[in-house]
Amino acid sequence: MPDHWRRPARVTIGELTGEGAGGGATSSRDGHDDLGPGSSDAGTEPDARFTLANERTFLAWNRTALALVVAGLGIVQLLPPFPGVPWGRHLLGVPLIVLGAAVSVIAYRDWQRTQVALRHRAPLPRSVLPQVLAATIAGIAVLAAIVLLVSAVR
Amino acid sequence: MVPPPDEREDADPGLAAERTRLAWARTAIAFAAVGAAILRRQPVAGLIVLAITPVVWGLGRVVARGEGHEPRARRLLLVTVIVTGVAVLAVAVALLSHGPASLRDLLPYVR
Repeated sequence: MPDHWRRPARVTIGELTGEGAGGGATSSRDGHDDLGPGSSDAGTEPDARFTLANERTFLAWNRTALALVVAGLGIVQLLPPFPGVPWGRHLLGVPLIVLGAAVSVIAYRDWQRTQVALRHRAPLPRSVLPQVLAATIAGIAVLAAIVLLVSAVR
Repeated sequence: MVPPPDEREDADPGLAAERTRLAWARTAIAFAAVGAAILRRQPVAGLIVLAITPVVWGLGRVVARGEGHEPRARRLLLVTVIVTGVAVLAVAVALLSHGPASLRDLLPYVR
């Protein structure tokens, strides 16, 4: 990780929103680690820009999740049925919707882990979301190919 | 992978807060889109999702205030709970939909 990604806290939320300095820079960790590593409140408040960027990433994943839900719903409700494969639309659409829910849950876990890492000036944890998304979408694509083939053969 | 130092943002860190507010607005609009998509076939479910839009929008407005880790975590957890709930609703709508040759045609005894 480049050094400038974890520069010490310089901007607080209060400063960003004009609600007072709020203590300003707290780059020293004295007295702030009493809660221990198990608590997500441990460590020091990171630079507000990092907190906000982490939050935007979480929101972007949730929009992706909603897009997956809409895509799954669209397949089930808007597509005409595959000839000879009446369950084909549900086979393709329902997994997409379930993937949407999973993406949202994993995104929250990732946000929590990243925030804890930021509070401890630790390296950011890796996210499994890209792998989960790629693997599931690839699986659904294979399913779609199978449904089309079965539909063509019948 | 290494982003260049964002000098403009260093000069005005309020831009980060602004971007985050816009991200919340986009997310709220995404809920509106999902609600509108469901509305066509299932008006009740669609209206439920549409009603979420102002809630998410409001959550984004609170963001700007200074707050600790726990309130922020609770607010984001609420978003995940809402998205998961919408997904459950979507599965229900998908399974119960009256579209031609839907799952019901597979299960004649349901009719």
